Amino acid sequence: MVKLEIKNMYAGYDRKHVLKDINMKVNQGDFLGIIGPNGCGKSTLIRAITGVVDYIRGDILLDGISVREMRRKDIAKRAAVVPQNTFIGFPFTVWEVVLMGRNPYIGRFESLKEEDYELAHRAINITGIEKLKDRRVNTLSGGELQRVVIARAVAQDPELLLLDEATAHLDIGHKIEVMDMIKKMNREEDVTVVSVHHNLDIAARYCDRLILMDKGRIRTMGEPEKVLTPGHLRAVYGIEAEVHENPRDGTLYISPIERKEIYRTFGKRVHVICGGGTGGKLLTALVDEGYGVSAGVLNIMDTDLERAEFLDVDVVAEAPFSHVSRERQRDNIRKIEEAETVILTDFPVGPGNLSNLTDGMKALDMGKRVIMLDRTGMENRDHTGGEATAIHRQMCERGAISVPSLKAVTDMLG
Amino acid sequence: MMKPSFRKRPVSTFVLLSLLLLVTVFASAMVGSPGVDISFTRVIGIIISGLPGVGKMLPEYSGSHVIIIREMRLPRILLGVVAGIALSVSGTSMQGIFKNPMASPFILGVSAGAAFGAAASIVLGLGIYVLPVVAFASAMGTALLVFALGRIHGKTDVATLLLAGLAVNFLMQSLTAYLIYLSPPEKRTSIIFWMWGSFNGTIWRDFWVVLPVVVAGIFVVYVFYRELNVLQLGDESALHLGVEVEKTKLILLAASSLLAAVVVSFTGIIGFVGLIIPHATRIITGPDHKKLIPAAALTGGIFMVLCDTISRASGEIPIGIITGLFGAPFFIYLLLRSRGKTGW
Repeated sequence: MVKLEIKNMYAGYDRKHVLKDINMKVNQGDFLGIIGPNGCGKSTLIRAITGVVDYIRGDILLDGISVREMRRKDIAKRAAVVPQNTFIGFPFTVWEVVLMGRNPYIGRFESLKEEDYELAHRAINITGIEKLKDRRVNTLSGGELQRVVIARAVAQDPELLLLDEATAHLDIGHKIEVMDMIKKMNREEDVTVVSVHHNLDIAARYCDRLILMDKGRIRTMGEPEKVLTPGHLRAVYGIEAEVHENPRDGTLYISPIERKEIYRTFGKRVHVICGGGTGGKLLTALVDEGYGVSAGVLNIMDTDLERAEFLDVDVVAEAPFSHVSRERQRDNIRKIEEAETVILTDFPVGPGNLSNLTDGMKALDMGKRVIMLDRTGMENRDHTGGEATAIHRQMCERGAISVPSLKAVTDMLG
Repeated sequence: MMKPSFRKRPVSTFVLLSLLLLVTVFASAMVGSPGVDISFTRVIGIIISGLPGVGKMLPEYSGSHVIIIREMRLPRILLGVVAGIALSVSGTSMQGIFKNPMASPFILGVSAGAAFGAAASIVLGLGIYVLPVVAFASAMGTALLVFALGRIHGKTDVATLLLAGLAVNFLMQSLTAYLIYLSPPEKRTSIIFWMWGSFNGTIWRDFWVVLPVVVAGIFVVYVFYRELNVLQLGDESALHLGVEVEKTKLILLAASSLLAAVVVSFTGIIGFVGLIIPHATRIITGPDHKKLIPAAALTGGIFMVLCDTISRASGEIPIGIITGLFGAPFFIYLLLRSRGKTGW
């Protein structure tokens, strides 16, 4: 059963997009981790899910209902949040704070019912804070307070528990203790967990699936083995790291080796000529493999350009919807000169970007290796009345390698 | 199922404080200007025989004492009770909204606004019936101004609100000071006396005007006691617990400012009560607003009547002076006693 679904969601503050094109699905009982460098939008994602930050485009569905259409109390009945730290203004007792978790269930003129007390007691038992029950919160240590806040979230009786770096301030002992407790709830009570982590080892150890975020976008998602690769860590965190498997339980752990300041110079240089969304996946794959990637000539607002900028790829950009100018063409040729390999994707060719194709011909003149991705057949994307098809054929004759799939491109490079 | 142990306590605290308030009211009615003290039984007799439907069953009281009790002391004492309750509840609510025990009912500039309105009325010679109306209008106008300045992007940011309040308070105080500076000596004295607060000369009409506003304001604040508790976890956590934070703050700020404004418009500025009574009560009851609001209300009423009694017996020393003079040492005592137990 799908618990949480996010579709093409954009969100931000003051019209600045902090989150871009987020798509994800969380099933009932999942334990999902969200990782990524500072400022990548992890916390904003949590805040968007609970309606604290409004989204600009797309939609977020909790149990199939758009959170925008839900009353706050209805969101609070479904999803509880444990923030990184909580400052409590006045010295409430632990019991009083845990009972506040019942707030979404109590009407304005109602008082607490038997069930509310029972669930608060249960939350206290689950989190093991029986001894703290009558203490005032201002006398607690950081670890104790965090457990109280978790107990409050548990008292909310949520089906979805959202943790926003909930263990960041705890020492390693308390971190493990708290995460073990949450894992147990996930396993035994079927509580779905979405947790933001800074600590990659903790994320790898507890989460069944990970989402790696970078600059407001989802970079990749999947099982920890697929997400925590040296290539991803290099591309997103800018570190050289080894990923090991713990021989005891098979979980992953990371040993960072060094931080590469300019990782783009690492590896061979590849120039990608693309457009119209044909190059996005290739660019991502190349960056992840550690190539120094450049791209051109792309119109502003082209999805490939957005992707390239997201990936920090060196890109030659032209004004939106206009023909490629001589200046930009010259820039493009300069990038081709710097590269060892030039890849042309199967972008549609019209009069406006025909020069992109002829630039490929120039690359052959310079003696570069030229790979042409062609999944659709040139004649099907030729909007120049045959001219592009002719150039394409000519390029093949002069030694450009035409390949039918993305994988074939990366294999050729490898 | 185990019930929390504190559930019984607020009731007994509430009953105790209610009784204490009742005793304070009667005791206060005995005390007057030097030389006009009236015995306890006579006070009770005069008050009870004045209640509708009871009068015929008791011997008829007559003479100046009846006038003094029924027309002078009783309206004054009851207005004192209502004012004390209103300022305490307003302060409790403000401290809850601002999550800060230093917040007072006057944080949005209500007192400075009322003072300016009152000073202007006195300077213009508008008379004692118009003065409360002008003071009230000016108080609420000032609060609205602060409120408008304190909102950014449609959100009420408490830090900005606090700073806006500070600035506007200073502005209104300077304007008032300028009026005082311009006015002739006798008006100057009136303004200054008004600013120190007094229940002297209260008539029943004052009480009946203030009472419904205060009842409504307290009802609103109390209805939000659970939200006030949850807000103490922080705005975002409150949102996550289903509280409409923005709406709640708006309503509470409006109700709290209204409570303070209606009182000070009739009595002049009485400081200290709204700041200290909630704080002192919290030390005893804990921060749960379900218990805190009624307890602070009753404590405020008792404290105000006591201070006004001292004021009356001492030949009308302004009550704004008395509240600080007697309240501060009591508060310091509470602080010292509780130090290290509850934190603050």
